Amino acid sequence: MRIFLSLLFGLFTFLLSAAEPGIITGRVSDQSTLEPLPGATIIFRRNQGTTTDSDGNYTIRTEPGSLSITFQYVGYKSQTSYLNLKPGETVIMDVGLEADVTEIDQVVVSANKVEQRISELTVSLSIIRPELVSGGHITNTQELLNKTSGVEVLDGQASIRGGSGFSYGAGSRVLALVDGLPILAADAGNIKWNSLPLENLSQVEIIKGASSVLYGSSALNGVINFRTADPGPRPETMFYAETGIFDQPRQRNWIWWDSPRMFSSASLSHMQKYGNTDISLGSFLIIDNGYRRLNDEKFGRLNLKLRHYSRKMQGLSYGFSMNTNMSKKTDFILWENAETGALKHSESTAIALRGSFLAFDPFISYRKPGRFQHDLRSRLQVSQNRFPESAQNDSRPMSFLTDYQSWFRVSEFVSINAGLYGYASKIESNFYGDHNALNLAAFAQTDITPFNRLKLVAGVRMEYNELDGESDKLVPLFRAGLNYRLLDFTFLRASFGQGYRTPAIAEKFAATTLGSVVIIPNPFLKSESGWNTEIGIKQGIMTSSMNGLIDIALFYSQNIDLIEFVFGAYPEGLGFRATNIEASRVYGLETEIMLNNSFGRYNYTVTGGYVFMYPVEFDPMTGLNTDVYLKFRRKHSAKLNISTSYKRYELGLGMYARSRILNIDDVFVNPLTREAILPGFFDYWIENNSGHFVMDATLGYKLTEQLNLSWVIKNLTNAEYMGRPGDIQPHRSFSMRLSGRF
Amino acid sequence: MRNLVLLFMISGLFLVFACNKDEPSERFKLLTTPVWESDSLLANGLDASGEGESLANFKGEVKFNKDGTGNFGSYAGKWRFAQNETEIVILTDSLPLPLATRIEELTASSLKITTTSPINNDAIRMTFKAKP
Repeated sequence: MRIFLSLLFGLFTFLLSAAEPGIITGRVSDQSTLEPLPGATIIFRRNQGTTTDSDGNYTIRTEPGSLSITFQYVGYKSQTSYLNLKPGETVIMDVGLEADVTEIDQVVVSANKVEQRISELTVSLSIIRPELVSGGHITNTQELLNKTSGVEVLDGQASIRGGSGFSYGAGSRVLALVDGLPILAADAGNIKWNSLPLENLSQVEIIKGASSVLYGSSALNGVINFRTADPGPRPETMFYAETGIFDQPRQRNWIWWDSPRMFSSASLSHMQKYGNTDISLGSFLIIDNGYRRLNDEKFGRLNLKLRHYSRKMQGLSYGFSMNTNMSKKTDFILWENAETGALKHSESTAIALRGSFLAFDPFISYRKPGRFQHDLRSRLQVSQNRFPESAQNDSRPMSFLTDYQSWFRVSEFVSINAGLYGYASKIESNFYGDHNALNLAAFAQTDITPFNRLKLVAGVRMEYNELDGESDKLVPLFRAGLNYRLLDFTFLRASFGQGYRTPAIAEKFAATTLGSVVIIPNPFLKSESGWNTEIGIKQGIMTSSMNGLIDIALFYSQNIDLIEFVFGAYPEGLGFRATNIEASRVYGLETEIMLNNSFGRYNYTVTGGYVFMYPVEFDPMTGLNTDVYLKFRRKHSAKLNISTSYKRYELGLGMYARSRILNIDDVFVNPLTREAILPGFFDYWIENNSGHFVMDATLGYKLTEQLNLSWVIKNLTNAEYMGRPGDIQPHRSFSMRLSGRF
Repeated sequence: MRNLVLLFMISGLFLVFACNKDEPSERFKLLTTPVWESDSLLANGLDASGEGESLANFKGEVKFNKDGTGNFGSYAGKWRFAQNETEIVILTDSLPLPLATRIEELTASSLKITTTSPINNDAIRMTFKAKP
């Protein structure tokens, strides 16, 4: 009987304890900044888990006993704790995760519209850190991108791995985004470079290859996503003031100025959390006299971002971003001549421009990191291009877009990313005429992890376009990719992606005369389309004193109906007309390297890249290459950046090399037209089109913990080189900057 | 999930349709079937087909081949439709620039085109008759 009672008591105790679980609760945060980590994954026992809320808090109710708990968060080292949980016990376990700052574990969002480690991507993606912007005294986004491996910007037109040439400022095969939303001009279809907020950058992510499944038209050749920074736990104020001067060019007979050519810029930004509200403010001002006559600029930009995290509903946040700027400038178009006027803007094309821009981006987001996220974002973009001396070229484009994206985890192995996109624009212009455009799209993508080392991606998008009430046919687009973790730090990837681009309003309808240049409209232009594929390997490097990565990719892209402005005899007269004429193929290889090394008190960072391309036209009828090089492309380009710091000093050296441009538009070499269009260019081109090598040097000195003084010499060797025809690039310049971070 | 599968299927169908090769258009057949013979070649309204004049080289037979090549009087080169088949673009090494001509009339027996001279900007009007 006693035994029976003991057993009964034991059973009762067991049942009681089983009904009374233990509780583990706490907060997961960044070990160094103490910032909470919302959405961190917490795994306990077998296949049980939870995630932290928007404040980084978590609570687990589980059976008592010994158990291990693993805390994981993208970009941080995982941490596992062990404990013996007693019945009814409440254990408080606060965890500080250590940021995993290895190059191979950098976190990006652009490739899949959700956070991922760079090593796990199926496509090539490069990152530009804000340190390159501030350290290199870079105030111009185009200059920043030209210092990136595999990217070249020719007078405002970006090309990634040879995907684009130069099309006179109309249209873009590279889509620029600010926080995931496109920032293209609704009329010219080009990137609004001045509106990109360099003063408030978290990082720039560049997808190298067709990305139209996720981003639609214009992502034919790739995507450049400018991600803005959010406030940390402590308020932060940053500023700089800079002034600089241009040296003399190599060809002294090009000097046209009596007084030194100066440029000055300044920036002030502040980020702070007020309770549950994040506020970021930024401002930028530049006055650039220019090294060319009639090519000066005064420009100012303001941006504001406000995000409120709901107290009532965890994971819900909402707010808006605003970006506005004004400019007064004269864009450079054609030089006077090669002998004495290469740095003089031809008066026939020098037209003063007054520009203004406003983007207002409301957004709302509901996220349970690791489980689902819903993001609804919009952008109202209004701009005005006013030419006081040439009102017929004025335009007033306005656009509104809405992007809804939903990501959710279906199971441990499958997640779905789907969304809807709508874009409407209205253009009032004498230059282009008045037009209305509409673009609607739906996309869906699935990420599958069939086993631990393999990740698969497949996606589809449907695009609908309408211009002035006329519908275009539906465009289906596909992508697929895989990433395989071969070894701990070795990742193989392969991808295929389709791209397309609808012609810009400027390409279809621009009708004007600029000096000797006549532009004829072409309302019959079709969309460009194509695809690309690549295989790549990313190797992480981890030693006791060094971390970094090496990436090698073999790529191939093919496009048809590419639009070029072709000079010809048309029924309307002689002039340029946008034409679907080029069928292109680009075969290539790209290598990138990033190394961070510590040696005693010295820290070194080395970044570099080399790209080889074979860009060639092909005949779509026969499918055979024609051996005619694509225009405005090069075979080789390389860059190397070395920076080191010792005590209060920072030293940097940047080297950039590009081989010759392989081919240019016929109008610049045709004996009938070349002198009328660009006097002296042809002979200059024959003599000087041999590639270029440019060096930049930087020196920084920490005055205090907060203040830094730095000097930069751009184009140290005073190399003379040209971008697109007639566009002589800046010769040597010196600048000094005082910057602070409080 | 079911909707997603449906979307994939619909997209696949569109892809299949998009891959279908187009049949040659009626205009393509009309242009490429006959051998054309120059009837009148006018520059700024005046005959320019005489020896040494700007359109002398277009005098004679014109043939637009189905493979995109062609003979245009004494010129040989390539041709293609443009502007939704409202224009014919002629490319030949003998002309300094691509010549885009607007089709004013295209029937089984008559072809009338207009353009601008790549040499002197004159307004050009050329008419051709189909050879019997």
